[in-house]
Amino acid sequence: MQIPPRFARARPGRATVPQTAVAGLALVLWAMLVVWLGWLVLREIDAFSTANSDNLQWSLSQADVEFLQFRLALKDAEDAPDALDNLRLRFDIFYSRMATMSSGKLFRSLHDSRQYAGPQERVQGFLDESVPLIDASDAALHAALPRISARAESVAADVRAFSLAALAAFAEVSDDRREGITRLMIYMAVVLMALFFGLTLLAFTLFRLFRLARKRADEIQIAGARMQTIVETSPNAIVVTDESGTVRVFNAAAERLFGYSRTEACGRIAAEFLIAPGYRQPEQNDVFAFAEERRRPLPEERQFETVLQTRSGRSFPAELSVDRAEAEDPLYVAYIRDISRWKDAEEMLTEARDRALAGERSKSEFLAVMSHEMRTPLNGLLGTMQLMRDHSLTERQTELLDRMQSSGKLLLDLVNDVLDLAKFEAGKMEAVSAPFSLPRLLDGVVETALPLAETYGNALSWRWAGPAGAGVFGDARRLRQVLLNLVGNALKFTRDGAVELEVEYLDAAQGELEIRVIDTGIGIREADLIRIFNDFETLDSSYARETGGTGLGLGIAQRFTRLMGGSIGAESEPGEGSLFWVRLPLPPVPGFPEPAFPDNAAPDVRPALRLDVLVVEDNEVNRFILREMLEAAGHTVTLAENGRAGVRRAAEHRFDVILMDISMPVMDGTSATKHIRGGHGASAATPIIALTAHAFPEEREQFYQTGMTACLTKPIDRALLLRGLEEAVSELPEAPPLPPAPAETASERSTLLDDRLLSHFLTDFPRDKVDLLVTRFVEETDNDIATLSGSDPGNPDLAALAHRCAGASGTFGAEALRLALVQIEARIKRGAPPDPAQLRALEGLWQQSRAALRARLGRTLAAPLSPQDG
Amino acid sequence: MTFLRTLRSAAAAMLLLTLPLAAADLDTPTGPPLLTVSGAIDHTNDGVTAVFDLAMLEAMERRSFTTRTIWTNGEQHFTGVSLRHLMEAVGARGGHLRAIAINDYAVDIPREDWEADGPIVAYRNNGAPMSVRHKGPLWIVYPYDSDPAYRSEKIYARSIWQLARIAVRE
Repeated sequence: MQIPPRFARARPGRATVPQTAVAGLALVLWAMLVVWLGWLVLREIDAFSTANSDNLQWSLSQADVEFLQFRLALKDAEDAPDALDNLRLRFDIFYSRMATMSSGKLFRSLHDSRQYAGPQERVQGFLDESVPLIDASDAALHAALPRISARAESVAADVRAFSLAALAAFAEVSDDRREGITRLMIYMAVVLMALFFGLTLLAFTLFRLFRLARKRADEIQIAGARMQTIVETSPNAIVVTDESGTVRVFNAAAERLFGYSRTEACGRIAAEFLIAPGYRQPEQNDVFAFAEERRRPLPEERQFETVLQTRSGRSFPAELSVDRAEAEDPLYVAYIRDISRWKDAEEMLTEARDRALAGERSKSEFLAVMSHEMRTPLNGLLGTMQLMRDHSLTERQTELLDRMQSSGKLLLDLVNDVLDLAKFEAGKMEAVSAPFSLPRLLDGVVETALPLAETYGNALSWRWAGPAGAGVFGDARRLRQVLLNLVGNALKFTRDGAVELEVEYLDAAQGELEIRVIDTGIGIREADLIRIFNDFETLDSSYARETGGTGLGLGIAQRFTRLMGGSIGAESEPGEGSLFWVRLPLPPVPGFPEPAFPDNAAPDVRPALRLDVLVVEDNEVNRFILREMLEAAGHTVTLAENGRAGVRRAAEHRFDVILMDISMPVMDGTSATKHIRGGHGASAATPIIALTAHAFPEEREQFYQTGMTACLTKPIDRALLLRGLEEAVSELPEAPPLPPAPAETASERSTLLDDRLLSHFLTDFPRDKVDLLVTRFVEETDNDIATLSGSDPGNPDLAALAHRCAGASGTFGAEALRLALVQIEARIKRGAPPDPAQLRALEGLWQQSRAALRARLGRTLAAPLSPQDG
Repeated sequence: MTFLRTLRSAAAAMLLLTLPLAAADLDTPTGPPLLTVSGAIDHTNDGVTAVFDLAMLEAMERRSFTTRTIWTNGEQHFTGVSLRHLMEAVGARGGHLRAIAINDYAVDIPREDWEADGPIVAYRNNGAPMSVRHKGPLWIVYPYDSDPAYRSEKIYARSIWQLARIAVRE
């Protein structure tokens, strides 16, 4: 069993460095001591190995003896003259002895000693004195014998004293030497003691080290046993291989998992029998790249899934957790888990989730389809009701029709809300970013909500707070819907008060716009403020029950606001009113044309043109309603019941505009549009408006790509339809291509004359002034229209003329004329020459407008107008 | 002294006459005899002894060296005849010899000492013949400086001066 290095590694010795330093220092000191002692001993050995003297005592005693022999020889010579030679010899021997004693190395050290030096000098003096006598002739020597004898007698004591002094001195030297040796012995003893102490310490240290090593070995053994237990009891298979992939450890769980016994597995190359065939080669399976490259797996490589195989050949998905234990002999440790069951469960779960998602989706789709399907008959009902008003009805019938229509509209709102919600939840809703005129959109909102405001006796208006803006990039349709929701909400909870929209750019760069809907209504309690944006939330208010509503409005407004990247919120003071704000990123469009009418109560536009319209629609009810609406507006209608019939009609005749349903039998609207655009029929360039019940952004994009110019959402509202037609024909750039789905209340105003504007004008000015102004207006316009209708399309003054004329027409409420003039002006400004037919049509339009004006103003105008009327 | 020598010579001659004549292949001393070698020797010139005078010694192969001694001051130059050479000349058979000085100091020198060719029988110190007063006329000197082994009390004791006689012993 290999021990992972974490367990095997001994605890690092603390304070190793100081210990080593102390030990090293002690060793050096010790070595120095031993060297010093060795030097001492060697010196002593050296001193002992060579003798400084021969026998000292012998020399000293010999001096005495030789002196005595000399004196004996003296005596003999006095008696026997032939003994003189012997005397001479004895003298020489004594002389030699004394010479040795004065010049010998041993005795030189004694020369400083007074006891020695004195007698020695005297003896030497005697010898020196005697030498000439001894060396003289026998006769002379004989004669001198008594003198020599006397002198010898006198130095005898000196010879003795000198010997004794030498002995004493040598005893001293000897003592010194002994002391030196004793000292050396003491040193040696001390060093020996130190050595003994050091050795004891060393032995003790070694013993401790031995015990420590044994303890660590025991610990390692215990850790090893523990590791063995851990490995063996692990529920996961553990396989340890060396760098070459040879199995080293194969635990019990691995035996169970793979079906190999430990002895069978160990020693084999793991990849060759544990990995399923088809996963063994690096090119088949790169999860073992680290093992191929003999390196540690990167953190992201340490856990992976692969397919392994048991002894019986069963392949199974497994999850591996591998790391490399770095050591002298690196090991790969792999924890292996059979994840077959987990994989199955995962698959089942995925399937279940997919089913659930599919169910959810189909539910959403079902809701969307149902809402859509409900809208078609509803559209039929509402359209028919509108058409019924064109017939003479009794008061009672009108009242019933009103109720039916309001109930129908409520139902339509509900369906629309649910459809919006369903689309939103289905994730099919995207905010678009297209240029549109913000003032116009706000005008439209006010206009649309005006009837509701009047119902509750509320004033409704909008205004800029701060610098005014014009064209912006954004999703006009969603914004309109949000604002209509907020305004509608405000109006419903306000009685005989005012609802005002304040529009303000929050920053100088005009990146973020805030629109505040401020009412003077009943307000909302603070506690309720947080839940008003919840779906299906209706506050317990008599107003709410009275006004009805799905409770989805604010929820949808919030969703749309967020969809457009903005935020929404509300503040309120119960009893004083509420403020709902919407903040949206609506960057301005540079160079966007200023609205022709700064009046924020600009009237809805009415087509006054007589258009030749082809309606391609398979639904009979829809066909009927469309025809009725279009014809009522003065257009000529040709019907086609499917795409193919539509294509045929379009090829035969040049229509002004084509209304094209999308989903139809035989040939759908998209294909039909392609055929019309692709062919060379009479209407190949005619604007085509898509009629669809479900215009998702991507679909709409597709419509435009096939050549459609606009898109209208069913159910068809009369006002929206007519405006759509007008916009498609004029190709005005500022209008959103798709008007909002919620139906606007179509106001039954004259197409020629805006009575409201005219009423303002009439009440603002005294009657005589009015007459004068009207007369001048009629005269000028007569001239202008004549110029315009008769002039060449290339005339450079046309735009200015049309603009001036349109301004005047607006003031007097000649709305259809104004619109036609605005279209001409816009076309010229875009750089396109005005349509001569459009110019010619001005004359007739003016005639009608003038007649209507005359009828409205009555006899006052009759007189001045009559001459020209003729 | 001469008298004694004569006496001794006479005694030796008398002894020689009584014993079978040994090989007398040594020269006969002409000057005053300085050294008498006796005992287990093969070559003699005076009965059973070999007697040497200075000329005889000087005629032998001479050896000299310079060394310090513990008895003198400063370096000394000694010239003499190698003890080995001398022993060969007399055909010494013994394992050691006894050297005896004028003052009757005596010491034994083993054969290995002379066979190692260390000691010489010096007759000149610093170029001059040595008087009795200056440890002459013969002095067995070892080259003390050349080997620490020669600086021992044993060797100092064997360094006999005023050498007069040598007796070679079995």
